[in-house]
Amino acid sequence: MTEVSSKGGRLTALRKRFPAPLAAVGVWLRRTGTVAQILSLVILVAVFAIGTKGKYLSWANIQTILSLAAIPAILAIGLHLTVVLGGIDLSVQGVASLCAVFVGLLMRNQFNANDVGLWIIPISMGVGGVAGVISGLLNTGLRIPSFIATLGMSWVLYGMAVYINRAVNVIILDERIFNAINGMVFGVPQIAIFAVVLTIIMQFVQNRTQFGRYLYAIGGDEALAQQGGVKVVKIKIAVFTIAGIIYGLGSLLLACRLGVATSRMGNGLLFPAITAVAVGGVALTGGLGGAKNAALGALIVTALNDGLVLMQVNPYAQQAVNGIVLIGAVALTLDRKKLGFIK
Amino acid sequence: MNDTSNAQEAVLELGQITKEFPGVVALDRVDLAIRRNELVGLVGENGAGKSVLMKIMIGLIQPDGGTIKLHGAPITLKNPSDAIRNGIGMVFQEGSLVPNLSVTENLFLCHEADFRKLGILSLRSMRAAARELLTQLKLHIDVDLPVAEITTAERQMVEIARLLWLSKLYGQENPVLILDEPTTVLADSERETLFEILHELKDRASIVFISHRIQEVLENCDRIVVLKDGKNVTEMAASESRLLKIEQLMVGHSFSVDRFHRDGEWRQAEKEILRVENLGKAEHFQPLDFTVREGEIVSLIGLVGSGKEAVCRCIAGLEKADTGGTFLDGRKLPGGSPSAAVRAGIGHIPIDRRSEGLALMMSVAENVNLLVLNRLKAAGFLSPAREKKNAHHWVAECQIKTPSIGTLCANLSGGNQQKTVISKWLSSRVRLLILDHPTRGVDVGAKDEIYKLIRKLAREGIGMLIMCDTLEEDIGLANRLLVMKDGRLVKEIASSPEQKPTPQDIIGLIV
Repeated sequence: MTEVSSKGGRLTALRKRFPAPLAAVGVWLRRTGTVAQILSLVILVAVFAIGTKGKYLSWANIQTILSLAAIPAILAIGLHLTVVLGGIDLSVQGVASLCAVFVGLLMRNQFNANDVGLWIIPISMGVGGVAGVISGLLNTGLRIPSFIATLGMSWVLYGMAVYINRAVNVIILDERIFNAINGMVFGVPQIAIFAVVLTIIMQFVQNRTQFGRYLYAIGGDEALAQQGGVKVVKIKIAVFTIAGIIYGLGSLLLACRLGVATSRMGNGLLFPAITAVAVGGVALTGGLGGAKNAALGALIVTALNDGLVLMQVNPYAQQAVNGIVLIGAVALTLDRKKLGFIK
Repeated sequence: MNDTSNAQEAVLELGQITKEFPGVVALDRVDLAIRRNELVGLVGENGAGKSVLMKIMIGLIQPDGGTIKLHGAPITLKNPSDAIRNGIGMVFQEGSLVPNLSVTENLFLCHEADFRKLGILSLRSMRAAARELLTQLKLHIDVDLPVAEITTAERQMVEIARLLWLSKLYGQENPVLILDEPTTVLADSERETLFEILHELKDRASIVFISHRIQEVLENCDRIVVLKDGKNVTEMAASESRLLKIEQLMVGHSFSVDRFHRDGEWRQAEKEILRVENLGKAEHFQPLDFTVREGEIVSLIGLVGSGKEAVCRCIAGLEKADTGGTFLDGRKLPGGSPSAAVRAGIGHIPIDRRSEGLALMMSVAENVNLLVLNRLKAAGFLSPAREKKNAHHWVAECQIKTPSIGTLCANLSGGNQQKTVISKWLSSRVRLLILDHPTRGVDVGAKDEIYKLIRKLAREGIGMLIMCDTLEEDIGLANRLLVMKDGRLVKEIASSPEQKPTPQDIIGLIV
């Protein structure tokens, strides 16, 4: 066949129009699907840097942003997996609350005599994983839309958490874990390093394993993926489970950062996670975007909020800005052709 | 096995395959043998049973009767992946590649084992293998592009490459490739390239080629099999056959025009209802003009892809035309607005009534009344009494067989669902009705009732634009036929009750 021109000529055009090194960067950015995100982050930083007369760019503030972005990023990495599948997971808050209760009960604390030491890491992740398995089974076995299955799960788990914990603030005393999470390495917050490592691992899994491949196949077209031989049910349950495990990890990290574990800890975690996923460019229709998008989205949202605080914007106005950012990001990235009807 | 018998040996042999769907015999004792290294053309009208036969060959549908033999041994194909393990694969018309995955990812989807080390995929070796596979098919594209960004022709090649690779993986040296109307979506040059490749592939595969375009089948295939009404009509070497002969075989001679038009009087009205002027839409159809008069049934004839569907969608306001406009009773309609079209009096009965024409989870009465709620109000609120009256009236008028007007439409038969759709439009005092395959999926008895209903609508002065399942139906029902081919209106043929054209007259114009 002769060289058939394809619609995909855009990349080739990019290569022709710009000098090689510049084009290579362009091609890489487009492949990774993060052009708009990196551009908006640059613009955001520039605006706030000017708006705060450079205070925004101080290393102390950057440290603040990095450490604040870490937990939303970790949660978003879990949540975005379900979005890539073409579903959603709204159970973050319930899972995080229940895990926090386990953390408060089992780590060395002021409330009881338990001390499981480092075992708390697999325990917290395990609790989240079990919650994820149940969400996955509800979604695939009972065929309940993930939106409802996970929303319901969130309330069930939150109810359990409050029932056990009675909204007591349990102060955590385990210094080892506490220090590992709140420390700095060469001036970079360790928790941010955790988030970066998780992003790299997850992105690698997405790019280089069969699981990752099938995840995108299902998100692209579930029927075709099934026809091609993808074990859709297995993958879906696995995805919800991994998401749950990651929420468990995020919950433990958050408890250790705050030094307190309580059943109310999950409150308010869902919105930043979903905003991060949407702002990062993970298509809500499924099949597009990876862990790097979720993490980048969390960074953008955190950088935005930090900037608004530094510029002393009214906190209620900040909330409204976040809502606008979420809607705006979806409006810009949603592939409406893929959706028959908007419900 | 010796070399001389190889060429004649049947790789895949279907014997006496029968498949019945509720109310329709889709395949009636069909035989088909596919030999080594040959290109078989399978032709037939819409609904002749080609696609059902293909789906049986890849295990997507199980036959009710008959045998399938592979290399002489009987076999049951459970599903498409079972079929490909046995070296039988199909390139679907709508494609089976996942759009967001890259060419490489699609090629090896679910068969990545060879490229895996310790659970990690080697992207480099996958890319190299993909390039090699595609080079064999003379396709040089960036294998990292998502499939959504390559052309249809390229996608077909990628699918063929995937099938070839899979059959090799499963140790099948002479796979059977089934191509379902691959050329309908291709430009002329792409079509030529496809045939070049297919001729080369014949050395290591058998190919079943389904097409509407008899000319290209004649030019390229070794053998041609004609299906009609779910039966084998004939099978012949391409060298022995002629275009005309095949066309006649496809249409057959067994139809009775009577069934469609002798019942009910028919009068020629002069008043024009619909006038289409210079209506055109790029990539779908060239600007065209036509009219529909009061009480007239005009049939649009053409193959899938001839543009007739797009014409109807533009008139119904579901799509916006690029040029020209439509006039209903002399008033120009705003294009691209279905609600304006409905207000003006254009009804549209879509081909897929289950998803577009009817609210299945609503009752018969609710569906019938849907478009006329304004008229059924009393003091500003819907009046149950008026709703009931209107529904009863139309259920009786259209002879909808339903236990009650409160029955959910989902529980009605296909024919009665269709009658409900029609009555919905009648109730709204529609002027022009567009009927997209009104008898699709309806059993024979109900078909007759729908024909009668359509006649009755015509007598009441409603103009109709129809597209039917078969040429016989078109000819029988319509007063005038508009023939479309490749996006152009090629001919207008009168089809008065006294002087009906025959399908043989028309088939040559559309293929």
